[in-house]
Amino acid sequence: MPPAPAPPPFTRRRFLGLGGLGLGAAMLAGCSSPAAAPPPAPTPGEDLWRRFAGTTINFISENTAPTAAIAANLGPFAELTGVTVDIVTLELQSLVQRVALDMAGGQAQYDVVYADPYQVLAPYRKGLVDLRTLVDDPQYPPLDQPVEDFIPTQLRAAGTFGTDGALYALPYDAPTMIWQYRIDVFEKYRDRMARDLGFDPAPGPDSTWEQYHRTAAWINEHVSEVPYGTGHQAKQHDSLMCDFSNVLWSYGGDYFADGAGVGLTGSDDPGPCLLASEEAVEAAEFYNDLVGIAHPGSRGWDWDGVGAALRAGEVAMAPNWHEYAAANEEALPGLIGYAPMPRGPVRSANIYGGTGIGISATSEGARLGAAWLFVHWATSQATQLSNLESSVGGGTPTRRSVYEMPEVEAATSRPSDLPNMLTADAVTAAWEPDRIGLRPKIPMWNECDTAVFTELSRMLAGRQSPRAAMERSANRIDQIVSRGWVA
Amino acid sequence: MTSAARHAPTRSAATAGRRFGLTFNGRLMAPGVVILGALSFFPLAALIAMSFSRVRLLGGVRLEWAGLDNWERAFSDPELWRSWGLTILWFTTTLGVEMVLGVAVAVALSRLVRARGVVLALVLLPMFAAPAIVGLLGRYLVDPTFGLYAWMLQGAGLDGDILGDPVTAFVAVALMDVWEWTPLVALITLAGLSGVNPSVLEAAALDGADQWTTFWHVVLPSIQGILLVALLIRSMDAVRYFDVITVTTNGGPADATKIIPLRLYEAAFRFFDLGYAAVIGLMMLVLTIAIARLFVRILSGKGARP
Amino acid sequence: MSATTTRPPLRGRASAAPSRPRGPAGAQNGRAKRVVGRALLALLLAVFLLWTVVPLAWMLLGSFKSAVDVTSSTPKLLFEPTLDNYVGLFTGANNLLPYLWHSVAASVASAVLATVLGTLAGYGLARTRGRRKDALSFWFISTRMAPIAAVVLPLFLMFRLAGLIDTIPGLVLAYLSFNLPFAIWIMSAFFERIPSSLEEAAHVSGCTRWQTFWYVALPLSRSGLVTTGVLCLVFSWNDYAFATVVSGPDSQTLPIAATQLVTQTGVDWGQLTAIGTIVVLPMVLVGLAVRKWLVTGLTLGAVTGE
Repeated sequence: MPPAPAPPPFTRRRFLGLGGLGLGAAMLAGCSSPAAAPPPAPTPGEDLWRRFAGTTINFISENTAPTAAIAANLGPFAELTGVTVDIVTLELQSLVQRVALDMAGGQAQYDVVYADPYQVLAPYRKGLVDLRTLVDDPQYPPLDQPVEDFIPTQLRAAGTFGTDGALYALPYDAPTMIWQYRIDVFEKYRDRMARDLGFDPAPGPDSTWEQYHRTAAWINEHVSEVPYGTGHQAKQHDSLMCDFSNVLWSYGGDYFADGAGVGLTGSDDPGPCLLASEEAVEAAEFYNDLVGIAHPGSRGWDWDGVGAALRAGEVAMAPNWHEYAAANEEALPGLIGYAPMPRGPVRSANIYGGTGIGISATSEGARLGAAWLFVHWATSQATQLSNLESSVGGGTPTRRSVYEMPEVEAATSRPSDLPNMLTADAVTAAWEPDRIGLRPKIPMWNECDTAVFTELSRMLAGRQSPRAAMERSANRIDQIVSRGWVA
Repeated sequence: MTSAARHAPTRSAATAGRRFGLTFNGRLMAPGVVILGALSFFPLAALIAMSFSRVRLLGGVRLEWAGLDNWERAFSDPELWRSWGLTILWFTTTLGVEMVLGVAVAVALSRLVRARGVVLALVLLPMFAAPAIVGLLGRYLVDPTFGLYAWMLQGAGLDGDILGDPVTAFVAVALMDVWEWTPLVALITLAGLSGVNPSVLEAAALDGADQWTTFWHVVLPSIQGILLVALLIRSMDAVRYFDVITVTTNGGPADATKIIPLRLYEAAFRFFDLGYAAVIGLMMLVLTIAIARLFVRILSGKGARP
Repeated sequence: MSATTTRPPLRGRASAAPSRPRGPAGAQNGRAKRVVGRALLALLLAVFLLWTVVPLAWMLLGSFKSAVDVTSSTPKLLFEPTLDNYVGLFTGANNLLPYLWHSVAASVASAVLATVLGTLAGYGLARTRGRRKDALSFWFISTRMAPIAAVVLPLFLMFRLAGLIDTIPGLVLAYLSFNLPFAIWIMSAFFERIPSSLEEAAHVSGCTRWQTFWYVALPLSRSGLVTTGVLCLVFSWNDYAFATVVSGPDSQTLPIAATQLVTQTGVDWGQLTAIGTIVVLPMVLVGLAVRKWLVTGLTLGAVTGE
């Protein structure tokens, strides 16, 4: 039996002292912190990597593949720096909660933060360190490749906000939704499908959503190997907004005017919501029909569910995040193919879900220094390469130089030692400026997102028409945005 | 919460106790009261303060006076009222099913002579399980691809994803709650039944009343008090726990399972709309206090003691 | 199962039936009805037993299944058992041992502390009279019933200020917020049942009030102490809502570990059922051990269960 901890120090004096200051407000106000202390300066000739040996830092991350790979491979970092990294992995929603609460506390529990651009960076960027000050600081080891080596769109989308010039995070992962399909099914039935449907069903750059829909319906009817043609991440969840956004953008709809700008740069005041537009309604109508013929499990699946269903042979096609490739390859070796999303009337849109890692502004002293060493190391060329090789299915690189390495290039086709690279062609195309889909980077996105996926979920449950879903979403978003944001 | 905090002898805690002539009973209660005071008075004060404020988080929590903004928003938010409606539906269906089923099971158990201990033990199992685990286990059982219950339902011709449809999802999470808490109702009722005077039953039998009549007119009235207690116990926990829904549907699909505590949690810990969340919290607290009053009144009437 | 065997008073009634001034047909009709009634109750009990036991049994079985068997699309009753899930939990990158330790430390410490403080305060409450008692009772019960979702947030801010976030003492204190009022209530119910004549006798023979409490009241309430301790242990062990907010990397508990197995790359249902078993089994065992007094405990003393 463990020793009972001492009772907390709530003496009468403290009780009265706090209470006497007037309600809880005073108690809450006591939390504000002094300016963070800088790390100790290095001594001349010291190994810049080992300055903070003996320090322990906490890294809080979404439970993603790259973090699994990094957690499994922390040895080299500990050897290089002598710094111990404790990793806490959480599901995104819990992560956002922890990070926000941590920043509110004024003293950092988590030094390195997985800064989702929409749910962490945009609302809480003032709680993150501007990494430019560290990149240029001669007291730290220099980056082996410059910051410009990061894929430019990703650096802006995941690392910056507005035009303040600050760099809040370095791109750490880059999951992007692409079209995933069963190669064997398409090989076997391609001719029959082409005959019946009147077009070549093989996923390619010119495939359209309309064709995707008809192909899925055909597979429902005629293919015995897999029960359903398509599966979707249509649970009342962030995933539903992601899945729908691909269709929305491809039909020419968007959340706000200058959607691309609001996605890439971010804005505190994006203007009126455009979801009630005809294009958006049309997209919602199509999406409603599509999920209507999809695997009935779709309305209960988030991205995990769809990934598992594809791997279990329940569906022949699904739009899903490309970082599932390693898991796919393990379950169904050689059987899953990848392509950019189908085109709508306007374009092909592939929603980008990448995230950077940053440093909490309340981290201080040696922990701040050690945190930067970790961010530097975790996003470095060498680490990104070893992530690709990880047996626990690491992510894909965010640095251009990694894609240019011969062993990485060689892995983009089967047989591949780095199975996540099998998506390289599809995802590189998906990242082209005219194909990438960027959701609004606004501080109140979390709540807007909830409004959108809740209304969509009502639509999919048959409780309201696609038009009503879009109009109600627009209405709610306008209200949320008009309240503004205080952090 | 407030009135008692004022009356409670916190002002004369431990050391000061003797000096101010705190009674023996007061001294015994002092440590508990001080800790509880700290754990309930501050949160309440903070909730009230936040409900009239815009709460800033970064760089330390700060409150900015916002008047009645949060209250106005809460009272004019149709989504919130929809949630209250859903909460009432949740409350009445889960409690209703638990009470009826619990009483039936208790009656059946009371007729059992052999193996009663073992059967009772098995019946009680679910109430010791952590609600979060109950939710996860429920998810495992109704998963459309490998769930045991989903498989059985598919055999019965019920296809589709149970947690993906608003109606079945609501039924499923409600049944998870029923699964966990019916045993508690059964246990309490059983205690009440064992207190029913056998001679009363005998008299009823001699009058030629059949079993149903006996149950309805003799047994039920005599365990009324205990049933009320069971009802209150469940009603105070029914809206308290939301772990099951959090780990299964998290409020979906189509907001069909988003009862009030989930909406509060979402406003507080996802949107960090803390002032608004405080208003919802205070609404819940008022409801809770009303139930607590009822409870104490019934207890002090001692009507429940067999 | 022997649900058809009636208890003694009822059996007496059955044998009395033929002597009643009713036609033989009427008696037979009554008996037939009774048999049907009993059969229905037996059936109900059997179905209810399956309903409570199957999910837990399925979880237990699942924890010994391989990754393939645990998510097989047709449920497997016969399979080759493996310990891989348990081994994996304690050897992988995310070792369960610290979680287990945090859970044990926090819930045991909280249960002990709540029982000690609750016993003192419970005795004080039981021996207090008048309006002050009503006010205190009401306050205690309302703190126990306060909606978790509403309390967690201010508690977090308070704990942050006191440096209690992500510490075991922090968890212990958070658990005290619901365990302490609960313990006070049950213990006072147990103390209320001690005949006042006993304590008066002690007083007359020269015992101080403390000695009366220590040598008379306390030994008579041993079952209450055990029940209180065990139920507090169950409540804190099963908590999820407080732990999500108050705990951190150095204090995460088992229910948190369970929800963390739901990851982006899918859910490891084998390990999840194994964690579920680890969480549920100990509580089932200790809970059943005190089931005799459970009713008193779970109804906060409103119903006596012996």
